[in-house]
Amino acid sequence: MRRQLRSRRAPTLPHGYHYRLDDQDEVNQNYLADEEEEAEEEARMMGVPNLEKEEEEDLVEEEKEEKEVVQNEEEEGQGQPMGNTWWQKLQLINEYLWDPEQRRSLALTGQSCSLILILYFLFYASLAAVITICMYTLLLAISPYMPTFSERVKPPGIMIRPFAHSLNFNFNVSEPDTWQHYVISLNGFLQGYNDSLQEEMNVDCPPGQYFLQDGDEDEDKKACQFKRSFLKNCSGLEDPTFGYSTGRPCILLKMNRIVGFRPELGDPVKVSCKVQTGDENDIRSINYYPESASFDLRYYPYYGKLTHVNYTSPLVAMHFTDVVKNQAVPVQCQLKGKSIINDVINDRFVGRVIFTLNIET
Amino acid sequence: MKDIQNSGKEDGQEKSSRGRKDTCWNRKKNRQKQEIKEEPDLDDHKLSSEDLEKKYGTNIVAGLSSARAAELLVRDGPNALSPPKETPEIIKFLKQMVGGFSILLWFGAILCWIAYGIQYSHDPSSSLDNVYLGAVLAVVVILTGMFAYYQEAKSTNIMAGFSKMIPRQALVIRDAEKKTIPAEQLVVGDIVEIKGGDQIPADLRLLSSQGCKVDNSSLTGESEPQGRSCECTHDNPLETKNIGFYSTTCLEGTATGMVINTGDRTVIGQIASLASGVGNEKTPIAIEIEHFVHIVAGVAVSLGITFFIIAVSMKYPVLDSIIFLIGIIVANVPEGLLATVTVALSLTAKRMAKKNCLVKNLEAVETLGSTSIICSDKTGTLTQNRMTVAHLWFDNRIFVADTSEDHSNQMFDQSSGTWASLAKIITLCNRAEFKTGQESVPIMKKIVVGDASETALLKFSEVIVGDVMEIRKRNRKEMEAPINNTLYPACSILSLLQLSIHETDDPDDNRFLVVMKGAPERILEKCSTIMINGQEQPLDESSAEAFHTAYMELGGLGERVLGFCHLYLPAEEFPETYSFDTDAMNFPTSNLCFVGLLSLIDPPRSTVPDAVAKCRSAGIKVIMVTGDHPITAKAIARSVGIISANSETAEDIAKRLNIAVEQVNKRDAKAAVVTGMELKDMSSEQLDEILANHSEIVFARTSPQQKLIIVEGCQRQDAVVAVTGDGVNDSPALKKADIGIAMGIAGSDAAKNAADMVLLDDNFASIVTGVEEGRLIFDNLKKTIAYTLTKNIAELCPFLIYIVLGLPLPIGTITILFIDLGTDIIPSVALAYEKAESDIMNQKPRHKKEDRLVNRPLAIYSYLHIGLMQSLGAFVVYFTVYAQEGFRPGFLIGLRVDWEKDMNDLEDSYGQEWTRYQRQYQEWTGYTAFFVAIMVQQIADLIIRKTRRNSIFQQGLFRNKVIWVGIASQIIIALILSYGLGSVTALNLTMLRPQYWFVAVPFAALIWVYDEVRKFYIRRYPGGWWDMNMYY
Repeated sequence: MRRQLRSRRAPTLPHGYHYRLDDQDEVNQNYLADEEEEAEEEARMMGVPNLEKEEEEDLVEEEKEEKEVVQNEEEEGQGQPMGNTWWQKLQLINEYLWDPEQRRSLALTGQSCSLILILYFLFYASLAAVITICMYTLLLAISPYMPTFSERVKPPGIMIRPFAHSLNFNFNVSEPDTWQHYVISLNGFLQGYNDSLQEEMNVDCPPGQYFLQDGDEDEDKKACQFKRSFLKNCSGLEDPTFGYSTGRPCILLKMNRIVGFRPELGDPVKVSCKVQTGDENDIRSINYYPESASFDLRYYPYYGKLTHVNYTSPLVAMHFTDVVKNQAVPVQCQLKGKSIINDVINDRFVGRVIFTLNIET
Repeated sequence: MKDIQNSGKEDGQEKSSRGRKDTCWNRKKNRQKQEIKEEPDLDDHKLSSEDLEKKYGTNIVAGLSSARAAELLVRDGPNALSPPKETPEIIKFLKQMVGGFSILLWFGAILCWIAYGIQYSHDPSSSLDNVYLGAVLAVVVILTGMFAYYQEAKSTNIMAGFSKMIPRQALVIRDAEKKTIPAEQLVVGDIVEIKGGDQIPADLRLLSSQGCKVDNSSLTGESEPQGRSCECTHDNPLETKNIGFYSTTCLEGTATGMVINTGDRTVIGQIASLASGVGNEKTPIAIEIEHFVHIVAGVAVSLGITFFIIAVSMKYPVLDSIIFLIGIIVANVPEGLLATVTVALSLTAKRMAKKNCLVKNLEAVETLGSTSIICSDKTGTLTQNRMTVAHLWFDNRIFVADTSEDHSNQMFDQSSGTWASLAKIITLCNRAEFKTGQESVPIMKKIVVGDASETALLKFSEVIVGDVMEIRKRNRKEMEAPINNTLYPACSILSLLQLSIHETDDPDDNRFLVVMKGAPERILEKCSTIMINGQEQPLDESSAEAFHTAYMELGGLGERVLGFCHLYLPAEEFPETYSFDTDAMNFPTSNLCFVGLLSLIDPPRSTVPDAVAKCRSAGIKVIMVTGDHPITAKAIARSVGIISANSETAEDIAKRLNIAVEQVNKRDAKAAVVTGMELKDMSSEQLDEILANHSEIVFARTSPQQKLIIVEGCQRQDAVVAVTGDGVNDSPALKKADIGIAMGIAGSDAAKNAADMVLLDDNFASIVTGVEEGRLIFDNLKKTIAYTLTKNIAELCPFLIYIVLGLPLPIGTITILFIDLGTDIIPSVALAYEKAESDIMNQKPRHKKEDRLVNRPLAIYSYLHIGLMQSLGAFVVYFTVYAQEGFRPGFLIGLRVDWEKDMNDLEDSYGQEWTRYQRQYQEWTGYTAFFVAIMVQQIADLIIRKTRRNSIFQQGLFRNKVIWVGIASQIIIALILSYGLGSVTALNLTMLRPQYWFVAVPFAALIWVYDEVRKFYIRRYPGGWWDMNMYY
């Protein structure tokens, strides 16, 4: 039935080709062997206005497609000389955009156009409603305090400071310009660790044990102090250049925060650095601050940024006091401890960090 | 006979008059026509044998010398038709490599490599990801190209078997010796001997002939036996009797001839090469696919460029923008679709091959479905190509004989004495014989030596009377003599009377029996009595009147009528020892007793009327185009329903109303019979008018050129034209048609080569199956494409949102390829197995220009409705995965820049810090989640695409088992990709938590429900606004 309807419409061609409707119908009529169908056909022919409307609908289809093809061809055929057909096609597009004869734009009549607009408005409004509801339930279902899963972010990665795009520390001791930005970066980073600030905001909790805080999830949690002064020679308090001016740079190491992470079995995570490849003796001594070279247990667990507002990540400073000069020394710092993995091949920042020191004098 | 001559004249005139008309054809066509028009340049039939000897440097008695023959063979090449020019395989292969979407993908691949080049120049250590992606894209193109090529090659290989001809032998005189050599080695000037049963090995100028008759059906399409002699009887080489044409068959007798043309220079060779000169039209499905590719490529390129510009103006680096561009292109291009379409088509081709429709060109599978006009040859296609007894007239009554293929049901009254006499005449007055060694073969299938009419009579009598050979033995033949008719040149069976004298099988009766058959009016002249109810009665006015009425009636049915008479010779005058002499005619040949009439026709195949009716109800116009007489053609057309019972031609109306034909309003006549003669005087506008105004048309006495003109006329009506045919004469039309259908058994190689489809059983009814399959595959391809296009939006949206909102990339390019070429392939093929939704054979054929494969509603509904819903569902899964790992939805917006930086302590919404690789892994988890979400919703998409109009529950969820195989394959492939290959980093997939597989399920259900609602309103308001905009 559908097919019949379609083919009964006059073929609608661009370029103002107009087949006579009745001619075409006659052709189709001839196809019909059945007299009954013939009668039906005639009845349909009576309703010519109806047919014309259908025709219009069809035109919509044709011309839209035509336009797409034209667009496409235009893109492909750039640079080709504009032939006559291009001009015709442009005219066609123009006519498609606004057809003054039939008073319609984009080949849509006013009524059909508004119906389509209403339909799409309703459809997209309900889709928007659906996604809003979905997102709302999703947010309701997920705790704002604790991530549902954290296996992707475990085991913890580490990062060093100063860090500016590069893990290569190239500087000339005698040229402050080459290391000044490290100092500024470290200073900036350590502002949050200033003793005064820490004492004001955070509590001094007992070392060597987890700082567990029971209570509701949504209760604000207290944070343990990590004072800048813990870093001694690398705190920038005594040596405001963090050793860079003497060719004995300080590099701070920070373990990534993970909500609820606890080094297992109560052993604190330790840091150790060595030459990654090459002569072991390129680094003759490293001083660690705090001297234990570890992240004290009292800084764990982390309760998440919503409730654990003032939490400051514990740091370990490495003070490279005697490194071979004028030569790039690759250094690998690793975390050591239970539940620490430091040999993932793909991720060079899980449990370890590799950087090069090239100190020129 | 007359007609053959006529048609010769027609051809001649036509060729001259066509030249004037050519002005109204465009120049290109003109050139084609001109070629066709070219008359075979032959004057050898007018030369004497001496001149011939001189011309070809040969000797009629001794033939050529071997050396000379070898020389000529080198000069002219072998005597074989050169096969149609094949496109070199490598070109075919390369075409597959650059066709369709391949160009876009190559473009993407090259962009990838360029992007890497730029990256490399900035930072030599940059990752090789882009190189890999480019390589993957290239591999995809090459693999799909190879696949398509393989499918093509497979379907053409089936045909290779056909073109291998059995090597033929020719008996040739060379070096004054008779030799049998392969026909291929014949050269011009060879003297060849042919005998009954041989195929004529080259164009021959006959030098001597003994009762030689040939069947020129491969040239003219009509298997009327034609006599051959050595006199030049006509100026036109095609009509003269002294030329035998290559590939025609010698039916009986022997002849000697000189080879005058070999290979492609033969008349047949010229027609065959014409066929290859006619351009191959693009198949409708190829046009549709091209249209579809244009739409998709247009969307891809315009979206890609738009977003490239947006990205650049949003201050993205150009390199990133290029990568976005690649992503958008890859997401937009349904990489696997063309391969799927090929598979779907070849599945249908296979199904059709099972039903004896062999498809040479895969795309032709669909063409039959959109066919709106079938131009059918008559002989061999609509008819059995076998003369069969159709009616009998004796005892003043017409009896109908069974003309079905097995003659099993002979219903007429056989009790009359007249019938006994008639049966005896039929049995005895017949020179045809069964070939020996066919005892187990059914009668109708036995091979007979003899011409068509005699064969028909032999088989008829064998079926009714029984063992004919035995009866003939018992009624020993004393003598037989053809009585030449002085009025007609000896050629057709109708022109001569055949007489034989037999002993009777009754031992008490020692009279001789003279039996005679021939043209009825001539037989009647020889008779003085007529047998009624077994009694001889004098032939008076009234019985002569009855005879004439019956004769006219049978003749009017387009049947070939034969009269039969007999005479018992008085024993006294003709004792047993009497010696009959053919030359002296020492026996009576007049005052015989007229017994009856038999009319023969090449009856329609029993399945044809039904098939024609089906075609008609399927809105297909069936036009008969034949070289046969208008009367016969019309009769056959009536009997198979091409002209329906209640419709009349203008002539019929004129006869009924008793007015002149000119006075009849042509529009009142539904049917029309147009002869080649009328056709050649028509302008193309007049032809168009006939084609447009008459629903039932028969073209009779048409030449190969006219067949071509008719096909072109139909094509001007925007019709998709199928042409069926078997002879070489049909091959140009077969080639010109949108789909040429050749007969597998009766068809000549030229016809098979020119055709797109071969009917293995020569059965017209197979075409109906083909139409049904073609329509079904068109509908199903629509479904497949709708299914495939849908997920493009779900693949595309992530890129757009990634660019605009700065989310971490939801789905990677490689993952998109896993959907397009992994999970989606089998389901989209499965849709090709879907059953028809409604009775597709009761619908009109689709309109070539209106009912597109991919129309606006299809694209809009797939892209903007279901596609959007899918992306929505997929995004919900994506957000869920990220939120549960620590990145809440709001936090993700604008995170892209930091996310992709080489930063190893990026904070999430809980204050946790992530390394670059951890984020990467999370991103891949996101890809996997998105992938799984699309896969789950594609299952729903697959189910809703089963129908376009009916509810899924009407169609049945489980009727198409392959759909479920498809769904299972989707799930299994996804499981393997996630859990099996999740640890392979190059694939960018991870092991997804099991619960995420179910997040999108409600959305899948929503899609289903939405589509059911859509279909409900389409069914509820057919033709309404909703239907117009939502039915694809």
